[in-house]
Amino acid sequence: MTGRTGRVRGRRLIPALLAAVSVFAAAACGSSDGDSGTENAAGALAPLDSATKVTIKFLSYNYGTPGLGGTGTQALIDAFEKAHPNITIEPQGVATKDVLTRLRTDTAAGSPPDVAQIGWSKMAEAVQALPIVPVQEIPPTAEWDEHVAGMSKSILSAVSVDNQVKAMPYTMSIPVLYYNADLFRAAGLDPAKPPTTLEEVKKAGLAIKGTGSEGVYYGVVDSAKSDFLTQSVVNGNGGSLVDANGEVTLDKPAAVGALTGIQDLVKSGAMPAVNTETALAAFTTGKLGMLVTSTAVLASAMKAADGKFELRTAGFPTFGSKPARPTYSGAGLAVLAKDDAHKRAAWEFIKFVTSDAGFEIITSKIGYLPLRESVATKLEDSAIVKLLAPSLEQLDTVAPYTAFRGTKANQAVVALQDEAVEPIVLRGADPGPTLTSVAEKIRKLSA
Amino acid sequence: MTTLEAGASTLDARGHANRRVPAAAVRARLTPWAYQAPVLISLLVFVYGPLVFTMVLSLLDWDLVSPDRTFVGVDNYRRLVEEPEFPHALARTGLYVLALLPFATIVPMALAIMLWKRPGRASDNYRSLLFLPVVLAPVATALSWRFVLDPLGGVANHVFGAVGLPEQDWLGDPDTAIWAISLITSSRFVALNILLYGAALAALDRRAFDAARIDGATEWEITRHLVVPQLVNTTVLLSFLCVVFAGQWTFTNVAVLTQGGPDASTDNIYYRLYTYAFTFFDAGTGAAAAVLIVLILTALFGLSTLLRRRRALG
Repeated sequence: MTGRTGRVRGRRLIPALLAAVSVFAAAACGSSDGDSGTENAAGALAPLDSATKVTIKFLSYNYGTPGLGGTGTQALIDAFEKAHPNITIEPQGVATKDVLTRLRTDTAAGSPPDVAQIGWSKMAEAVQALPIVPVQEIPPTAEWDEHVAGMSKSILSAVSVDNQVKAMPYTMSIPVLYYNADLFRAAGLDPAKPPTTLEEVKKAGLAIKGTGSEGVYYGVVDSAKSDFLTQSVVNGNGGSLVDANGEVTLDKPAAVGALTGIQDLVKSGAMPAVNTETALAAFTTGKLGMLVTSTAVLASAMKAADGKFELRTAGFPTFGSKPARPTYSGAGLAVLAKDDAHKRAAWEFIKFVTSDAGFEIITSKIGYLPLRESVATKLEDSAIVKLLAPSLEQLDTVAPYTAFRGTKANQAVVALQDEAVEPIVLRGADPGPTLTSVAEKIRKLSA
Repeated sequence: MTTLEAGASTLDARGHANRRVPAAAVRARLTPWAYQAPVLISLLVFVYGPLVFTMVLSLLDWDLVSPDRTFVGVDNYRRLVEEPEFPHALARTGLYVLALLPFATIVPMALAIMLWKRPGRASDNYRSLLFLPVVLAPVATALSWRFVLDPLGGVANHVFGAVGLPEQDWLGDPDTAIWAISLITSSRFVALNILLYGAALAALDRRAFDAARIDGATEWEITRHLVVPQLVNTTVLLSFLCVVFAGQWTFTNVAVLTQGGPDASTDNIYYRLYTYAFTFFDAGTGAAAAVLIVLILTALFGLSTLLRRRRALG
């Protein structure tokens, strides 16, 4: 932003009319590596002209992966480059858990990507530590308003910080209950009436376990060290990890009760004591009856289930009569571009991938939520949107992802997942003292 | 003017030292340095420079990105020693060393001796097959092991189930995970050390063993009393290399399969260092951990050298 501020200062000496002329002139004479993007009166950037050639680096944890995420991301890039021949995307792959590491080291080396796909569990720390340009600041206000007009208001509101969208909701998902209708029938359960509460989930899980298969798995133990499902479970029991003032509340009774409920599934035998990857493999091979995890794996699950078992979905289970309050997972697109031309090109890319055309690819090829109602309506007869329907119905109840305070938020999430959630759920650690001890550690980290 | 010797200083008529050194002498002095320069510069840039940089970094509080780098003295070292994570990782690294030591010494020595005693095409083929784990991509190998050790339907549990043993969550149980990681890593030690023992055995004079056979010694006696004693120096070297590499070679398997868990049971000092620097972005503490690792290994090397000298003198 420093360069742009300097130019704005310089223009104070130029009469307003000349400034306006120079802005238009600059817009018409862009170059491939200069600051050819131009600012409007509010400091936002006007579109690039078609003669301006720009190459932007796009860091994505979906890009290059062998599954649907990889092919879907490539399809997005191809469609964008076809629509914007003057902008070339230079994609870079990275493992999900290494996104922040890569961004930090690239930034330290002076060459961060222009656009990065960052998981929401790491977004707070990324915004604090990295030179991220708030995406809402890049286009003129009218253009921004027009673009987000058709998007899910609840998601935009949930990801906003100080009423500003810093990173654009992109590959978004919320937790959902996947179930194997064939295993339901084998256990004497009615697949048309999936469980809606944790108690019902336990009952159904035990019934399935009785047939020799595994019952249910709540994917709270995540190898990518994301706590979105932990948050969803705790929210569902009326608790939170962090309160509105940023104070750590994960040792309060509601949070303890939530994890005790999940631990009870394991103790009862309804849930195997394994990690999420193992459970996902068991579900996709038809050995697990129910799986509570992100809608992000829907497309892969559909592909795996095809011809093997009937895959169905239901809404995120509640704690008794308390309302479901799932938080979102997935990723947003953050801009780290340094100069105006690259910032504007980054916005064009973000605008495209979060447009109707972009979300159509994201939903139909990767399986993430269509954050535009128009896309959901257009694809409503497709198998994938039918399976996403329970999640789309719960979209309005989505709770914001809450991050721990301070620059060590990521370290706090790792401590929560490794030192509390995993030992409690998989190894029967006492939830109360374990959460108290980890909460103390996180308070120190947040101080 | 009297010339004292070629390339040395010269005296003028009044006996004063003449500071002009002949060009040939200068060349003679500089030539060795010119030959050594590529190596010295490389060492400076790629080894000692980063080492000094790491030492400086260990005295700072820095997140790798921020322009603010605060000098904190030895705080990073103090925290490493006082907080439980690093000492725990050090203790687990010690366990890795103990678990891997037999696979770095006894197992490859036995295999190498067997191959050495039966020279021929079959022996060469076995040697090639046994060396394979060294050239396989470590991450790919680790991923393969994930499927083998999968608690819900992995090959290992199928085999256990078939012989009536209880199924295990090999990588998810704190009591078994470190041994599973050690076993996976052991194949690399065995593979490489067979080669090194093979080289040591190749240098032995087979005529001495033939003479022992003529004198009536059994194969076991020849191995026990003639071959193994001549492999002691190689074994000491490989034991020390095991201490150095146990943590490094388990790193990939830990990173791919367990991320230090469950309950930090598979943590080691190198994974801890990586976690400090590249998961928590605490570059100062990561650098301090790196410096401590160098100091610990240097101390161990010094101790081992001292003991060997004393034994030689004794």
